[in-house]
Amino acid sequence: MNDMSDTPAVEAKETPAKPERSRAAKWSRRGFIGAGVLAGGALIVGVGIRSGNPVGKLKPLVANGDGEALINAWVKIGADNLVTAIVPHCEMGQGANSTIAQMLADEMDVDWDNVAVMDAPADGNYVSQHTVRTFIGAGTIPDQPGQASFMEPTYDGLFTQVGKLAGAYITGGSSSVRTTGQNGIRVAGAAAREMLVAAAAAEWDVPAGEITTASGTLTHAPSGKSALYAEFASAAAEQELPRAPTTKTIDQFKLMGRPAPRKDIPLKVNGTAVFGIDGGSDLPGLRYAAVKAAPVVGAEVASMDASAAKEMPGVLQILNMGDFVAVVADSYWQAQQALGTIETAYTDSENSDASTDAMFASFTQALDDAGDTGGNDKADYGDATGALKDAAKAVTAEYKVPYLAHAAMEPINCTAWVRDGKCDIWTSTQVPLMARDGAAEGAGISADDVTMHTVFLGGGFGRRLTPEYTNQAARLAKATGYPIKMIWSREEDTAQDFYRPADISRFSGGLDEAGKCISWNNVHCSDDEPGEAPLIEFYDIPNVLVRGAEVHNPLRLGAWRSVAHSQHGFFIESFVDELAHEAGRDPVEFRRELLAKSPRHLAVLEGAAKMANWGSALPEGHGRGIAIARSFNSIVAEVAEVDMTADKPRITKVHCCADAGYVMNPNGFAAQMESGIIYGLTAAMYDEITIKDGRVEQSNFHDYRMMRMEDAPEIAVQIINGAPDNLGGAGEPGLPPAAPALTNAIFAASGKRIRELPVAKHFT
Amino acid sequence: MNKISAILALSSTALLLVSCGESASPDPVEQIVVADPGEGASAAADTDDVTLADAAGMMEEGRKAFAVCSSCHSVEKGEASSIGPNLYGVVGRKAGSMDDFKYSEAMTGSGLTWDEGTLDTYLANPSAMVPGTTMMAGAVRDEDKRAAIIVYLASESD
Repeated sequence: MNDMSDTPAVEAKETPAKPERSRAAKWSRRGFIGAGVLAGGALIVGVGIRSGNPVGKLKPLVANGDGEALINAWVKIGADNLVTAIVPHCEMGQGANSTIAQMLADEMDVDWDNVAVMDAPADGNYVSQHTVRTFIGAGTIPDQPGQASFMEPTYDGLFTQVGKLAGAYITGGSSSVRTTGQNGIRVAGAAAREMLVAAAAAEWDVPAGEITTASGTLTHAPSGKSALYAEFASAAAEQELPRAPTTKTIDQFKLMGRPAPRKDIPLKVNGTAVFGIDGGSDLPGLRYAAVKAAPVVGAEVASMDASAAKEMPGVLQILNMGDFVAVVADSYWQAQQALGTIETAYTDSENSDASTDAMFASFTQALDDAGDTGGNDKADYGDATGALKDAAKAVTAEYKVPYLAHAAMEPINCTAWVRDGKCDIWTSTQVPLMARDGAAEGAGISADDVTMHTVFLGGGFGRRLTPEYTNQAARLAKATGYPIKMIWSREEDTAQDFYRPADISRFSGGLDEAGKCISWNNVHCSDDEPGEAPLIEFYDIPNVLVRGAEVHNPLRLGAWRSVAHSQHGFFIESFVDELAHEAGRDPVEFRRELLAKSPRHLAVLEGAAKMANWGSALPEGHGRGIAIARSFNSIVAEVAEVDMTADKPRITKVHCCADAGYVMNPNGFAAQMESGIIYGLTAAMYDEITIKDGRVEQSNFHDYRMMRMEDAPEIAVQIINGAPDNLGGAGEPGLPPAAPALTNAIFAASGKRIRELPVAKHFT
Repeated sequence: MNKISAILALSSTALLLVSCGESASPDPVEQIVVADPGEGASAAADTDDVTLADAAGMMEEGRKAFAVCSSCHSVEKGEASSIGPNLYGVVGRKAGSMDDFKYSEAMTGSGLTWDEGTLDTYLANPSAMVPGTTMMAGAVRDEDKRAAIIVYLASESD
């Protein structure tokens, strides 16, 4: 993010060069497979870093079981014929790892019951900067020559830390299934199957072409020979890596595109799932730490008065760590209670006087300075200002959105044990290698001496892309000498987030005599990640100018579910709705005309309208609103229905139609749409982070609300598989249309146009 | 018993890093070791054994006991209410009467005025006295401690 460099305690001492782009950009999918297969596991493990199959090196890390053979870096087969997918992504509730395993199993011809999933260890062999470049770089997703132009900023922006990573083991950007799954594990699975066939062909002395595979079994029909995969697992690992393994076509899919039950759900239902906050709980001598960091960005702890805390029960140590204060105690409750009694003074910082009001005033000033044509151009085609002069009707509007916190259900926490020059870490993170580096720095040891233990994440949403908390825990564990479970209070979690940027966005638009939009001029303040977020090329508007004005943010900023799409989805679709109204047109009709040259968008729009029975009568005081957005290569339209008959809006229903190219697990995908919608509506309805005297004013769920069951709408999801070779993401794309669909519905129902979020502010 | 030692570790390295704003220093600026693991629970015993000799001692005891309450309640004059209402001047105040705190209906409708007696009953078991109160924690079972807290609260007023 643009202000990640403000992060205390996590900065690498030097900033390595950005990953090389040009080479990645030249790789075609064909070249990728070729190069990848040279490296076998290195399909995933780092094309161009090493040639040859790294199985020997990786086996001790992931395949220690009796009789387990590692076929390539992402696949292992046990003596019991169980096939395990080793997935370099984190499970944070989104279910992507299970879907990726499904893709592997299908390519390998293994039954779903016979498949397990494990997270790849946080080891550099599993990842590299090239992984990101490879999976996201130009041309790796076939038939999309334009892909790179907007995906590049995703990774250069959303994951701006990429250049600082020792490797890029990342779960984010709605990328797991469409990159690692589609371009990695399917190829790995197909290669594994071919290697098994080749091993059997050699042993049985028959042509490989006569061997068939099904249900984890090799069969040679002419000779009647058959064997389980496990029997040939070791021999397969010795085979040449196929240069171009053949992946399945859609008509051959048996598991892909089907709602296979997720592998992580039983653990979560029966309570055996280990989340970050559960990790390391049985360590001998484990003690608990509560922490409080300086509340103003850039401030440090000047002094602390711990006289009361010293007397409190269970307290073992009280530490001033410079950037934060900590209490270590026999129990977490004791630590937190004692921490609450410590009086801390902080140094001044340039942000000590920061306030939301002053900040928004500076945004307004920046927009005034940018005027009609100033700022950094993000899109400029046709003549937006000229066309506006010729327009029959000019429409202007300004929208405003607040900072937002992630508020993951599992607060930030980390368990660390530093001893004998080694460090063990249990933590929920979307970036295990980066988190490992944070711990290494805190423990004062090499990253190679840090072991990251795999855990489930109790929600990520982009919050867990930073390593400051592993750094904190490692420092405390080192200072005390015993294992420490550090847990942030909800108040700390709310006050020390990396926030979704606030923004103000201004539009002017021109309508011709027929009510068609001929001019679109937008200027806003946020740095856009991904860069496509404020762009509207899918709408057939001939004259477009989109600009950004530079502003200073007094808070730490981070990626928040759907990143810049979370603001621009609201801005763009609110303004389109206003244009439709000014043109005297129905919002669906108006968009239908604008989407005439974008058939996939149009199909999604019409799908959502049809689901909602758009145009049919609603009770008095009820209204429908529609919005459409594309993000992370998926296109999603939503129709929200609201009931405005009470004093506050009640969202009764959301109809969601989505085209993610091809959906690998429809249940999982629908759940992600629902989740994105609820997360988006929660923020749109209730939430804002405000600042006073440089400090965040919100603290807990009483003033940073979550949507509850009684307020949650019924949600229907319909899937369109509109581009089977061009997959889109699932984790984030459900979110951007949610807020504007809601506010457009409020307008339809009541005539009240909401131009500033959250909605609740307007109904107090 | 309690071994209290303060270690100042203001090494030049730490200062340098802190001044750079990177705070990469792995070492604490100040480390107070109150007890070693396994020695715990002594502090609690100390607190309970204190003899409440005089009002000043009682007030001091109340201030300490209130530490637990202070994570939700401020007693600073003029400071905003947070998770719980500001308790500056609470003794003598009508229950549920701070403008900047969203009380439960149960509390605003309780008709109570906080004095020594009502506070004592309330703190002994809040939801028994005001069913529906949002004060989820804070029951003080120990009678002496309760008295000390009330004395302390009474002192925090105009």
